[in-house]
Amino acid sequence: MIRLDGITKVFPGVKSLENVNFEAKAGEIHAILGENGAGKSTLIKTIAGAYIPEEGTIHFAGQERKWATPKEAKDAGIQIIYQELMLFPELTAAENIFIGKMPRTRFGTIDYKTMYRRANETLDSLGHRLDPRAPVRDLSIADQQMVEIAKALIGETKLLVLDEPTAAISGREAELLFECVKLLRDQGVCIIYISHRLEEIFSIADRVTVLKDGQNVGTHDIHELDRDKLVAMMVGREVNNIFPPKKTPNADVAPVLTVRDLRAPPKVKDVSFDLYAGEILGLAGLVGAGRSEVAHAIFGSMPRTDGTVTLGGEAFNAPTPRDSIDRGLGFLTEDRKGEGLMILLDMAANVTAPVLSEFTTTTGLDRNYEVQAAEDEIKRFRIAVPGPKSGVYQLSGGNQQKILFGRWARACRRVLILDEPTRGIDVGAKVEIYEIIRKLADEGAGVLVISSELPEIVGLCTRVLVMREGSVTGEVVSTEISEETIMHYATAASADAAQGAAR
Amino acid sequence: MSEVSAKATEKTTQQMALLRQFSVPIALVALVATATAVQPSFLSPNNIQDILTQTAPLALVVLGQAFVILVRGLDLSVASLMASVAVLATAFNATSNVMIPLIFASAILVSAVVGLINGLLVIKRNVSPFLATLAMMIVLQGIRFYYTQGAPSGSLPEGFRFLGAGRIAGIPVNVIAFTICFAGLAWLLHKSSFGRKIYITGGNPASADLVGIRSDRVTITCYVICSVMAGIAGLFLMGFVGTVDNWVGRGYELDAIVACVIGGIALTGGRGTLWGAAAGALILVLIFNIVIIMGLPVQAQMIIKGIIIIFAAALFAKAIQA
Repeated sequence: MIRLDGITKVFPGVKSLENVNFEAKAGEIHAILGENGAGKSTLIKTIAGAYIPEEGTIHFAGQERKWATPKEAKDAGIQIIYQELMLFPELTAAENIFIGKMPRTRFGTIDYKTMYRRANETLDSLGHRLDPRAPVRDLSIADQQMVEIAKALIGETKLLVLDEPTAAISGREAELLFECVKLLRDQGVCIIYISHRLEEIFSIADRVTVLKDGQNVGTHDIHELDRDKLVAMMVGREVNNIFPPKKTPNADVAPVLTVRDLRAPPKVKDVSFDLYAGEILGLAGLVGAGRSEVAHAIFGSMPRTDGTVTLGGEAFNAPTPRDSIDRGLGFLTEDRKGEGLMILLDMAANVTAPVLSEFTTTTGLDRNYEVQAAEDEIKRFRIAVPGPKSGVYQLSGGNQQKILFGRWARACRRVLILDEPTRGIDVGAKVEIYEIIRKLADEGAGVLVISSELPEIVGLCTRVLVMREGSVTGEVVSTEISEETIMHYATAASADAAQGAAR
Repeated sequence: MSEVSAKATEKTTQQMALLRQFSVPIALVALVATATAVQPSFLSPNNIQDILTQTAPLALVVLGQAFVILVRGLDLSVASLMASVAVLATAFNATSNVMIPLIFASAILVSAVVGLINGLLVIKRNVSPFLATLAMMIVLQGIRFYYTQGAPSGSLPEGFRFLGAGRIAGIPVNVIAFTICFAGLAWLLHKSSFGRKIYITGGNPASADLVGIRSDRVTITCYVICSVMAGIAGLFLMGFVGTVDNWVGRGYELDAIVACVIGGIALTGGRGTLWGAAAGALILVLIFNIVIIMGLPVQAQMIIKGIIIIFAAALFAKAIQA
């Protein structure tokens, strides 16, 4: 369906594509894998006509094509669904699906009746039920994705590109999406699927192409590959142990953090648990189960209505983030760019932000001391940054995340809550982050890891709490920890889960 | 071939970065050169003193405005506050210079309260800075009119004239006052930990709260600083003009914002320096002067001001993209 030959694309200072050959057939799901900066987005944008390659040719549906604009590619039947959905939140689902090509009545007005009927048919054909009259802003992320896919189906789509579609959804929603994508494949659509998650590649892709440093490392049938081979291709070297060895913490001592009957409406209904020093405790559950809200309610960035919390044996009620930080409880939030990183400030200022008073003297902020502290963190976590005074915006996700680890590990040594600590970072950096988490626990911190990536929870934690709809529905320990048991508690009906928890 | 074009783009980006970095000094030099070309006596010590004296009151307002803009705000009430403070000064009906410190103290107090209300409206009641400070501007105006019933009548101590237009060893007194304020505020913004909190809050209030910074308090404090600076500026401008009417400082709210934008304070918050803001004020005053020197109608000032805003905004947009 599409063939790229010798594509080269150069940007100043940005890794791009170098002599890339790539081919995807009609009726297959072709996954493209690669670390951040490997050239995945550049490749997609070249296919979509958003970038014009310096060298190389594009063949689409048997003809050589030179897209001058994205619109040409779109008109030829190429649809891209980007990670950030391009929908109009105030319009209804059907209006979004038919945007730009709404059916007309003979008076030239919009034929809403036909539009809603056809929207319904299209959504039905995807095996998905949602109200085409609902404004898009009221739909879940998964439903919004369906709208995007339906939108792609309205035009004569021959090639559909999905850019990390599961980044913001999980569990059942992702499965629905996979079914829908497979349905499209069986109808003969060529599908290019970009993802970070290796597991889903194996459940959905027919073939896989791995990009590394702007080059095609290889295209293989999915059956020829296993997880280790894929990781090795992506990283460029063998990675034997993705996860550091587990250690069971000493549970004879008093827990460093206890949480009892925590309530923070509307998302947190009933949460109790203990966290021990040196422990890596997992908090699993589907997106929307209230995991991040638990963290916010403990940290003090969201009000709690009920519950008792102790930190280091002392009562810790109604705290503010300031109190939490001062008493050694840190919270690395899930939205790295929106809530974590301060992109206008340099690296050193990012590290010291929670503990500015430590660097304050009578004559002001001690910049030398601050730079020194940042240098220590650069060494400790092997952060690839030009220096403490350089900016953080252009760094890779992995290095940005390491800076935030430097920030919180430095400020807070008792308890660290890590919300999606490896979201959107590449495999090589993930391995390093896992080592860092292990090290922090070894240094005596109690670590609570919130993650939607089950393999991460399974690989990292010695104990896992599972949440569902605002309550802890299960606790899984040591050898019982597996993706299946966690999913069981995360999705099981409440009564069922209560039984499970009692057992 | 591709390599060549990439290098070329890289070169232009570097040139752009350089241009941005030095745009303020370049503009200053260019303006002074233009003015000198049109009128050779422009660089005479006397004229320089005059220009600095004209700049100081605006620059004082600009210093405060910069703090508010840095935390993603805007203060439209500064000019109205300047006039109100001037009217307040006449209310003392004082003739002795001994009263000046008391007048200053009460002006600062009133200004601080105004700033506090602005800040509380914006932070606690979630009123947009534009609306909150616009309303404050009108309220102050109303109070002022109500009190003066048309024209202020009280007398002022002679000393204000000296503060506004006098010189010590050839240096304008209001420039000395500005320098002191600048030194203090520059330390606060660029050297103290509170200044860091301002940049963190302005860059992203959500992440500020999550590192334990009370972004609400930081923002409110910036509004208080802005109003206090406006109050001080009002007294100095009153001394410079020599008389008090209901419109001391008229137009200063927009001039102050324009000066900040020219000086590189981003309206989106968290970006810019106090040096830049002060230089922005000087650039603006130089432009006004050139308009007059060149014999252009005063209305040309407005047109030029508008064009500058567009250029500054465009330059800033380029900076965001890069």
